[in-house]
Amino acid sequence: MTAVDLVAHVAVFARALRERGIRMSLSDEADAVAALTLSDLSDRDEVRTVLRVALKIRRRDAETFDELFALLWASGEAAGRSRDTRTSRKKDDPLKNFGGLPGARMEAQQTERHSREGRSDVLGYSPEAMLRKKPFDECSERDLAEMERLLARLALALATRKSRRLVPTRGRGRVDPRRSLRRAIATDGEILRLARRTRAIEEPRLVVLCDTSGSMDRHVRFLLAFLLSLKKAARRSELFAFNTSLVRLTPWITPTKIAATLDRMAAGVPGWSGGTQIGHCLAAFAERYLDEMVGPGTVVVIVSDGLDRGDTGPLVSAMRAISARAKRVVWLNPLLGDPRYEPTARGMAAALPYVDVFAPAHNLESLERLLPRLSAA
Amino acid sequence: MKTEIRAIAEAMERQGYIAEPSIATALYLSTTMGKPLLVEGDAGVGKTEIAKVLARHLGRPLIRLQCYEGLDVHTALYEWDYPRQMLRLRMEGEKGLDAESAEHVIFSRKYLLERPLLQAITQKDGPAVLLIDEIDRADDGFEAFLLELLSDFQVSIPELGTIQAEHRPHVLLTSNRTREIGDALRRRCLYLFIEHPSFEKEVRIIRARVPGASERLAAEIARFLESLRGRRLLKAPGVAETIDWAQALVRLHRDALDPETVEQTLGCLLKDRNDIVELPAAEIGALVEAARGGGAAPIG
Repeated sequence: MTAVDLVAHVAVFARALRERGIRMSLSDEADAVAALTLSDLSDRDEVRTVLRVALKIRRRDAETFDELFALLWASGEAAGRSRDTRTSRKKDDPLKNFGGLPGARMEAQQTERHSREGRSDVLGYSPEAMLRKKPFDECSERDLAEMERLLARLALALATRKSRRLVPTRGRGRVDPRRSLRRAIATDGEILRLARRTRAIEEPRLVVLCDTSGSMDRHVRFLLAFLLSLKKAARRSELFAFNTSLVRLTPWITPTKIAATLDRMAAGVPGWSGGTQIGHCLAAFAERYLDEMVGPGTVVVIVSDGLDRGDTGPLVSAMRAISARAKRVVWLNPLLGDPRYEPTARGMAAALPYVDVFAPAHNLESLERLLPRLSAA
Repeated sequence: MKTEIRAIAEAMERQGYIAEPSIATALYLSTTMGKPLLVEGDAGVGKTEIAKVLARHLGRPLIRLQCYEGLDVHTALYEWDYPRQMLRLRMEGEKGLDAESAEHVIFSRKYLLERPLLQAITQKDGPAVLLIDEIDRADDGFEAFLLELLSDFQVSIPELGTIQAEHRPHVLLTSNRTREIGDALRRRCLYLFIEHPSFEKEVRIIRARVPGASERLAAEIARFLESLRGRRLLKAPGVAETIDWAQALVRLHRDALDPETVEQTLGCLLKDRNDIVELPAAEIGALVEAARGGGAAPIG
C-alpha cells in the first residue's frame, strides 16, 4: 500500500467516524497516517490498535470505532463508499428515537421574538415584576422575548466559585515573593510594599439533565432558555436532555445564539412527549459520563417532575453514584410551585435523599432565587 | 506484529509489567513519533506504572509531575530562589552596583530553581521520561500552558529568555477522567485507554508480582475479581488492589479462597463503604463458590 493509498484510506475512515459523531481533526488523521507507516499493515489487530491510539478514540466511542473498523477492513473500500456508512448512521443515530418539536410553534415564537411592538409598556406597573412571578405555563407568546432577555441577565448574575489558583491582587492575599522582589530591585532590594496573590474566581461547572417528557412539556422551552443563558456564564457546563433515552446536547449549543440553538435542538432532538424513564436515563448518564464530567467542583442540576413509571432501583443507585461525586445535586421541579404538590411521585420520593437542594422552577423568580445555590463557593 | 512492538512488550514483562499488545503498540508509536502519550483508565489499572517501567527500560531518569487543583507554573516549571537573590542583591547594593547590573546578576540560571517540567527539558545526556500524572486534576489554565510546552518543548522565562529542550523528553500524561481533557491537548498526544485486565492477564500479573501465590490461588483471585468488577460498584478494584489482596492472602497462608477469609479481607478490594455493605455474606459465598469452581459467577 502506498503512502497515497494510506492517506486516502485514513481520510475515508475519518469521515465515516465523523459521520457517526466521533470528533476527528485533520491533525488526528495526519497522526494516523504517520503511525500506520510505522506499523505492520498486514496485522489486523495491530492496525486497529494503531488507529485507536493515533485517532484518540475514547472508550465511549470504542464500539462504534470497532464496528467501522471491521467494515473498513472487510473490504478496503466498503467503508469508503459512504453510502454504507450513511445507512448505518441512520440506523444507529442516537437521535432516532426522538421526533421533532412541532416546527410551526417554534417558528411562531421566532417571529414573535423579532417583533418588538408586542412589548407591554403600560404605565403604573413594572412588566418585569409581573413576568418574574408569572408561571411559565401561563406565559403568552408575547412574553417570550422579554422573558429571554431577563433570563440572560439572570445567568450573568450567576456568582462564581473561587479557584485554588492564585492571581495577583491589589487587596488582601498571600505574599507573592516573586513580584515583591521584582519591585524591590528598583529600591536596592528594600521591599517597600509587598505584592500579594489571592485565589482566582472561577467559573462554576454545571451538568444539567433536563427532562423533556410529556408531563414537562409546558416548562421545557423556558427552562432550556434559562440553561442556555447559564451556559453563557458557565462555559464549561454540560447539558443533557432525557425522556425515554438520554441525549447529550452540549455539542449543539452555541451559547451566543440562544434562539438558533433552540431551533436547532427542536429540529434534531427531543420529541418532548411520551413517558419518562428517569432511572434508566440517569443510570445511562452515570455509566457513560459521570467519571469525566462530574468532579468535586461540579454542581449537577436535574430538571424533572420526578413522575417516573419505571422501577426505582436504577434511579436510586444512579442518584447515589452522582451525589457521591458531585459537589452538590440540585433538583428543580416545576410542579413544586404548585402549593398542592407534594413530592410523593415514587421516583421523586426515591431520589430525594440524594438531593442537596430541592427547589421549584416554575417562574423566573424561583430561578433567580436559585442562582446563589448553583455557584459552588 | 512488528518486532519492535514485541520487543517492547517483552522488555516490559522483564520489568514485571504484563503489557497488552495495545500498551506496547502505543508506547512504540509514542517514542518513535516523538508525541506525548495520554493514558486514560480507571484508578489502579497501572497507568503510572507504565512510565516507571518505560524509564527503567530506557535506562533514563523518570521525572514526575503530580497535578492537583491550583498547580501553577511556579510549582511545575521554575521558581526563583528569592532568599538567595535577596541576599545577593543586598551585597551588590553595598558594593554600589546599579539596578540594571544587579538585576542581571540575580536573574541568572544560578538562582533558578528547576521544577519537574524544566528539569525534563534540560537533561544533558539524553531524553528523560516525563510523567505528568493525573492531568485531569489541574485547572484548564494549566492545561493550556502544557499545550504550549508540549508542542515546542521550549520555555520562556521573562527574566532570562527562552530555554530550548536539549533532548525532547518522552512524555506520558495520565488521567482518571475526573474531567474531560481539552480537545487541543488531546490532539497533541497519542491516546491509550487501559481497561481492567482480562482473566489471563490478571493471573499473569499476580504470578509476576506476588511470587508466593500459587497457580490455583492466582486463578481463583482473578476469577473472583472478574465477577466482582461485573457488579455495579462505585469504585471497582484495580490491579493495585488485586496485588494487595493477593499479598494479604499469601501472608495469611491461604492457598485457596474461602468465604470467611474473603469477608475479612474485603477491605483490600473494596474501598467504599456502600460497596461493602451491598455485598452480603451470602453473595460473597456465591462469588467464592464460582471462583473456585471456575464457572461464571452470578452478576447481581
